[in-house]
Amino acid sequence: MTVVRSVVGPRVFLASLRITVLQFLADPQWIIGSAAAPVVFALTAFEIYRFSSPTLVLFSILGGGMMSMWAQTLYGSGWATSQDRFLGTLEPTLGAPVGYVWVVAGRVVWNTISGLLGGALVFGVVALAYGRPLPVKDPALFAVLFVVVMLALSTVGLLFTALFVFSRYAGFVQNIGEFTFYVITGCMFPILILPFWTLPFSLAFPATWALEALRAATFPSYGGLSWGVAGDLVGTLALSLAYVVASWGLYRWVVRYLSDKGGGTADDY
Amino acid sequence: MTTEPLARPALRPSFWRTFWVNALFAPRTSLSFMRIDFIVGQVFILSFTQMLFFAYVAELAKNPTTPVSYVVIGNAVATMTYATVFAICGTTDSEKNAGTMEHLLVSPANRIALYLGRGVVPLLIALATVTVSMVYAVDVFHAPFAISATFPVAVSLVLTVVAMVGFGLLLAGVALWLRSSNQIANIFLFIGFVLAGANFPLSYLPVPLQWAGELLPLTWGIASLRAALAGASGSTVLFLWGMTALEGGVAYAMALGLWQVFERQATRTGSIVRF
Repeated sequence: MTVVRSVVGPRVFLASLRITVLQFLADPQWIIGSAAAPVVFALTAFEIYRFSSPTLVLFSILGGGMMSMWAQTLYGSGWATSQDRFLGTLEPTLGAPVGYVWVVAGRVVWNTISGLLGGALVFGVVALAYGRPLPVKDPALFAVLFVVVMLALSTVGLLFTALFVFSRYAGFVQNIGEFTFYVITGCMFPILILPFWTLPFSLAFPATWALEALRAATFPSYGGLSWGVAGDLVGTLALSLAYVVASWGLYRWVVRYLSDKGGGTADDY
Repeated sequence: MTTEPLARPALRPSFWRTFWVNALFAPRTSLSFMRIDFIVGQVFILSFTQMLFFAYVAELAKNPTTPVSYVVIGNAVATMTYATVFAICGTTDSEKNAGTMEHLLVSPANRIALYLGRGVVPLLIALATVTVSMVYAVDVFHAPFAISATFPVAVSLVLTVVAMVGFGLLLAGVALWLRSSNQIANIFLFIGFVLAGANFPLSYLPVPLQWAGELLPLTWGIASLRAALAGASGSTVLFLWGMTALEGGVAYAMALGLWQVFERQATRTGSIVRF
């Protein structure tokens, strides 16, 4: 049985990834919706920042890219679970002899890729509006760390999606929590300008650490946190792994809980 | 023997019956996606967090033309777009999803009453959102507010909400022949952040974008609120109210006048049943 599961899991993952890609290609207009807000917010922040300091323009690009990823991972993956619930396909999927996490993982991987595309779109639009070379210390390092930020963010999406299986308020959390998350992680400003008591909440997200690493490593004259870039990266890696492990365990627990309850909240929407 | 033709029953419900039935039933039917938890969150939480986010951006920028008070006021007004644009656009999708759109379009119900009726609940939610947002702006973010400005501020807010409901109805009509209202709603939901002067003056934008911004009722609504708060002269505020009302009126006229065009397009292209 274990051998069968170990083979079926990756196959389900690939099938889920394939169908998510096909659905996207069949109707790519959805990227407009998820890219509209990040592009608009990045342009808005850019317009506010552009007369202050060139470094602040980078905040708008980075924040916009992060919003794009947030929209793709949380909205894309979380919404897919809500849609499963609405269409009545969540229970059969949960009842299948393979972990639901494999299905979600396929969606999350594609949403991460399309989130990166959205991030690139934001980058292009703001860079075009700026019209001058961006003041990045090391563009190659910026690109690498930008991807690290996006991957760290996708682990948050993975964990939240697991929680959404359990709740009929996924849409509520997605909509209402959006700006809260942007504030807490400091996606368009350093977290150090937030009140001190919010710092533990900020540092509970791997994306915050990754953002700090990117800013400290590539933004000119960025102070950052006292432990430096290496500490930021260690924090990113450790928290990202913790999120992946936690979400994996949570998926298993949620599926077991819902099976015991005979459906439980799975069919509530 | 001659037979008297049977009197035809009155098939068309009255304007006000259609209006009130839609106003009262929409929250349970075409607006059912706006659950109470979502509405409460939108009115009390989303408005605050959105203002907080842009307040921090403004604080970091230290740009004298866009201080914190400037962006919180702009966002306080812009929060109404969730109810006026997104919710009203969503009614079209709800009808399509439920498979009731075709039946609705062949019914003899007065279209004006029908669509205006649907706008009542979003209008009330938008008013609640913007009122709470203004309280946040003044009490939490310390935006300057003189008691004497209460009346012009209230008029500005009500006028802007009413105008934006008209704009939402116009977009809902356009959404009829699109496959989904989601895209157009998303674009116009957020466009106000850039084109309506919610966060920075329109003069920052290239001239063509400034013209585009001036076509949005939200732009004039935000300007009238700022003018009212700043204690601008009566003629200035009246002009801005006039522009808000004019653009709102044009939006209603276009929404109701073009609805038949949208219906025909949607029937011709089959988008009436696509979602």
